[in-house]
Amino acid sequence: MPGRAAAGRIRKAIALVNSVADGAGDEDVTPTEIAEAIRDCLELSEVDQVANVRRYLGEALDAVSDGMPADFVAMTLYAALGALSDG
Amino acid sequence: MSSAEGRGRTVDEAVDAALIELKESRRNVDVKVISETPEETLVEVTVIDHTAVPAIDSAPANGKAEVARGLVEGLLKHMGVRAQVTVRTGSEPITLDISGRDLGALIGWRGETLRALQSVTNVMVGRHLAEGERIIVDVERYRQRREHTVREIALRAARQVKMTGDAITLDAMQPFERRAIHLALEGDPDVTSGSIGEEPERRVVVGPRKPAAE
Repeated sequence: MPGRAAAGRIRKAIALVNSVADGAGDEDVTPTEIAEAIRDCLELSEVDQVANVRRYLGEALDAVSDGMPADFVAMTLYAALGALSDG
Repeated sequence: MSSAEGRGRTVDEAVDAALIELKESRRNVDVKVISETPEETLVEVTVIDHTAVPAIDSAPANGKAEVARGLVEGLLKHMGVRAQVTVRTGSEPITLDISGRDLGALIGWRGETLRALQSVTNVMVGRHLAEGERIIVDVERYRQRREHTVREIALRAARQVKMTGDAITLDAMQPFERRAIHLALEGDPDVTSGSIGEEPERRVVVGPRKPAAE
């Protein structure tokens, strides 16, 4: 299925962000780890095959760098995931 | 508002006992776990009064909840989803309950859509919230039911660990589910819980608590 690997990596990034937002209490997730997970998504050529996916991922990465709230980062990643599944 | 206490071996059994007494269905009640031991669970089940004016109207101090409720209601309307949004009374943090027909799509695969809706809600309401404060969004009590279920799983795993002395690795779970497990077991002197693996395949391991080194 096209975009499957990208969707898996985006879901991983979302789960990392959610574990920060939800306070899972079993891991200290750093912004660096979240940024790495998003960069892992950007490395895939699949993200260029569907409009807006790379843009949303870039925005999510910027949001992490800017210290935006976890929910904002998650929302932007969900937008990327949604664009991928729509594409 | 009527309520009843229920007892049973599991949360589900205890809730069912109270529901029989109240003659109500599960979707119309609030469940509060009063005590949970391996042998017995005691719950308080309260019937939700859908006709009541949301508490927020009479409590201006809780205006944030009403702002959030209005925003989510508007969002669902734009999405073409017909649903009722209410503020769960006496809940901390603020919890919005979405109820209606055929809301499975709003929950999504493993609660993914619900979690996305919650993220969007918190972004929209963010400026009204204090630092660290969050809004929880629940659809047809899915989240609450999942928390009850994973607590059950945690207690069952703890019983097994105590019997065998071997650690048990549970299925991959979402952060709020893992959190519910850690909270359920944190007071147990005989078992301990931790997580292994990477998201989204991160799993809770329940194992015997080792005695502190002398």
